[in-house]
Amino acid sequence: MAVIDQHNAPAAVDETYMPPSRSPWAETWYRLRRNRLALTGLVTFLVFFAVAVAGLALTSGKDPILDPARVRLQEKLRPPLATPKTDALRMEELPPLGLYLLGTDDLGRDVFARMLQGAWVSLTVGFVAVGISVSIGILLGGIAGYYGRNYITLGQLLIWLLLASAVILSFTAGMTAAIILAVAGITLLILHVRQNRDTPELPATIRWMAVPTMQVDTLIMRAVDIMLCFPSFFLILTVVALLPASIYNIMAVIGLTSWMGTTRFVRAEFLSLREQDFVAAARALGISDLRIIFRHIMPNAVAPVLVSATLGIATAMLTEAGLSFLGFGVPPPHATWGNILSDGKGYIFDAPWLTFAPGLTILVVVLAFNLFGEGMRDILNPKLRERN
Amino acid sequence: MLAFLGRSIVQKIATLFFVSVISFLIIHLAPGEPSQIDPLNPKFTPEIVERMRKEFNLDKPMYVQYLLYYKNLFTGNIHSWRDNQPVLGKIWERFLNSLPLFIVGTILTWTFSFPVGIRSAIARDGIYDKSTTFLAYLLISIPGFFFAYILIIMVVNQLHVPVIGMQSFGVTAASPLVNVMDRIWHLVLPSILGATGGVAVLSRYVRSQMLEIIGQDYVRTARAKGLPSETVYYKHALRNALLPFVTMFGLILPGLIGGSVIIESIFAWPGMGRMAYEAILARDYPVILTVNFITAVLVLAGTLISDLLYMVVDPRIKL
Amino acid sequence: MKQSQNILLSVEGLKVHFLGDGPPARAVDGVDFTVRRQETVCIVGESGCGKTVTALAILGLLKQPPAVIAGGRITFDGRSLLDMPAEALRELRGRRIGMIFQEPMTSLNPVFTIGDQIGEAVLTHEQVPAEAVRQRTVRLLDEVGIADAEQRIQDYPHQLSGGQRQRVMIAMALACEPDLIIADEPTTALDVTVQAQILTLLKKLKQEKRMAVQYITHDLGVVAAIADRVYVMYAGIVVEQGTAGQIFDRARHPYTMALLDALPTKEKRGQRLYSIPGSVPHPAYKPKGCPFHPRCRYRRSACETVYPDMCEYGRGHRARCPVLFADALQMETSS
Repeated sequence: MAVIDQHNAPAAVDETYMPPSRSPWAETWYRLRRNRLALTGLVTFLVFFAVAVAGLALTSGKDPILDPARVRLQEKLRPPLATPKTDALRMEELPPLGLYLLGTDDLGRDVFARMLQGAWVSLTVGFVAVGISVSIGILLGGIAGYYGRNYITLGQLLIWLLLASAVILSFTAGMTAAIILAVAGITLLILHVRQNRDTPELPATIRWMAVPTMQVDTLIMRAVDIMLCFPSFFLILTVVALLPASIYNIMAVIGLTSWMGTTRFVRAEFLSLREQDFVAAARALGISDLRIIFRHIMPNAVAPVLVSATLGIATAMLTEAGLSFLGFGVPPPHATWGNILSDGKGYIFDAPWLTFAPGLTILVVVLAFNLFGEGMRDILNPKLRERN
Repeated sequence: MLAFLGRSIVQKIATLFFVSVISFLIIHLAPGEPSQIDPLNPKFTPEIVERMRKEFNLDKPMYVQYLLYYKNLFTGNIHSWRDNQPVLGKIWERFLNSLPLFIVGTILTWTFSFPVGIRSAIARDGIYDKSTTFLAYLLISIPGFFFAYILIIMVVNQLHVPVIGMQSFGVTAASPLVNVMDRIWHLVLPSILGATGGVAVLSRYVRSQMLEIIGQDYVRTARAKGLPSETVYYKHALRNALLPFVTMFGLILPGLIGGSVIIESIFAWPGMGRMAYEAILARDYPVILTVNFITAVLVLAGTLISDLLYMVVDPRIKL
Repeated sequence: MKQSQNILLSVEGLKVHFLGDGPPARAVDGVDFTVRRQETVCIVGESGCGKTVTALAILGLLKQPPAVIAGGRITFDGRSLLDMPAEALRELRGRRIGMIFQEPMTSLNPVFTIGDQIGEAVLTHEQVPAEAVRQRTVRLLDEVGIADAEQRIQDYPHQLSGGQRQRVMIAMALACEPDLIIADEPTTALDVTVQAQILTLLKKLKQEKRMAVQYITHDLGVVAAIADRVYVMYAGIVVEQGTAGQIFDRARHPYTMALLDALPTKEKRGQRLYSIPGSVPHPAYKPKGCPFHPRCRYRRSACETVYPDMCEYGRGHRARCPVLFADALQMETSS
């Protein structure tokens, strides 16, 4: 009500009759504690993280405590919790735990040790892939959202096209053509920079370079459209199959093919945030663009991005498992949950633990990420909060 | 309206062009060539490799290869490198195999998601809502191939029926009825598997959409008019909640050709997904590129259909 | 006896609490009021004082949970609404009690034509042929002042302006000729000129249809224009009630007086307007004693602990302030 304002109110009056105020972090933590599913997800994730780190320490190095690669052909396909036949094994072949916690596989390797090793792989694949896709997404989405209305000039477009085709050509046979294109591109770039620095008045020879072509937003969003035309799993499969098998390629490919969602999302956030009054106020105060983006817009956009990143990790882990299952995953002898499962598929009736140990583990960990991510989405969503 | 149609068709053709270029580049820039599939094979003498390169235009510059490939594609004159079959014919044959899986899976997905999602939203935070929510997360999180194995073990152990492939071996000799039943039986597991993920995701989406609408002022208005709650939920709320799903109808289209690589390989189903997988393994570029191109066409057609449908169902959008 | 027959709606000791994190929010904390037949009653108060929640509780439209009716009775035309089966209450809504909401922009369903939405109210409660419904819809639109009603029934809400949409909402509430219309700040979201038109329309229709109106507002200007009787609410309770004259000329509660002081008038030209210090307490953390005491000019130490009773000033004028009541008594005896 307009006629009542607070300018002559004693400050103490307000505070006594209002709910206790919490910092945003305390508020989030308070709500998280009340959301049992999300909390379970978080705890499971922390346990998984600890196990993965411990697994890395226990299974790597020259003489690991738990050796995932140790082959014991006389002990193959032992069920979980079986004790090793001590007479058949040499001293150093004995599992350090005194039993095969999750049994052994068709080569007599300790499945528990392999699972531990795989935990770290799954973790890094998930995090690095999502790290890549979220970085691209924030960068492109932020540019499209904040600078989207700027036009790209013909000169800029030409420079990028020349340089990009030079890079592409340098991978194939056309080395001379690549060098010519690169030189042309760099010459134009120098012209462009000098022209920008010197005078707004352009010499007639390069005036065409300043002709606007399309909006930045259009360019980025069309790129998103193009990427969305590829069937994602099929695309990942194609690229992974064509590239040499390596864990880094898988991370990179998953990351490079899944940034479209984040881009759209960040763009939408930026578009709505940049119209908000506090951004207008910051701009009116003459604060620089970069500072507005990082101090005023980012903190408001980052929470939902983190939520979608959490869900993205779950998807990336499933994708990795699927690739390993089809035989395109992380190359042996490195164990991942996907290829343990894939190796076990031939023994599904004789040694079901080879399927169930990795399968259930993937299920639990992915479920944890999903529950935590979805829970955080509810917690951070002010619209849902009011309705409670 | 016509202007919109024209504009978006031009835009989509441009997108398609870039897709074709990029997919061509991805495949041709990757290290290795189909002619080097198996260097140890004694049949691959240098002369033969040279002949193959010539035959497949691999000796020409890349842009020529690109133009030749798409010229062949549009004249329907494109052949697989592996068995020299016409690619389009191959795809059509596999497409017909995938089609029943796709249809049954889609019907299952859409018929289950809506009742489940709507009911959870109406009885928010009740036992039904909480259990379906958890079940949905479970189904989203379970690796498809692991779930497939669990189902196969259960079905084979309990019912002692074959589940792999499109039909039982030698059953074609039996009566037509047995034949049909056998086919249907083989469809059940893979289509259920194909639908589970979809049901989980879609029902969650239906639920959140419905919840959002139930909170709207006009739903309260409908209640204040004294309408029965079925009318409030199934007429006033549902009609609005359905709007975004109409657009999803268009997005089903790409699923027609995608198929599921994993499910089809587990069940030895000779469908599109399997064909794509085999083509990737064999570096059968024409097949890979054609599948990719058709998918892109379907994606773009799907978004166009979605936009048009939206205009039909939402009175606020006029062009 | 005649008096009680004349009463259409009575609310006694109504308490509505919202359960959630922390202590329950006592949004409505013991509200009493009555609406007589063909009378316009205004419920006045700042946003968050429980006006809208009271209205929703009458119609059974509260979302339960989080809301719970923690006590009290609501009687409409001799029947208790809180004990009524949900189906019977639904029958009552729209037929005997119509409601107009605050936000005409979002209160109409965007995917149905306005004709559909008005006719639906009729079809739900009466057995009438489709053609009769259409005619009634056209007549209703005509009555609420929408030109070309014949054509406009095909329109969708987005094709109408805010004022027109509110007219449609009014037509919808009137469709079954209810005995009571509850109007929840129907003009707040509209331009000032449109506000005046809607008020005039409501007044006219009330006369023609011989309805009672429970008008919820925060705007004392509106109250002065239409009210027969007024209830002033603060922090979930009624602090003062009386006829419009009693409230405007002889306010007996410090909150009402403060509201009136804050109103710009011709006499106060050139003066600085009064503004009430502090702000409305959160319904879950209300002060002990009189809920208004932290902001009150007349507070005594007793106000901080003792919940104030209603004090009777005669002829229906009551105020919940024993301090001013004692002063008034003293003045009367000394004079």
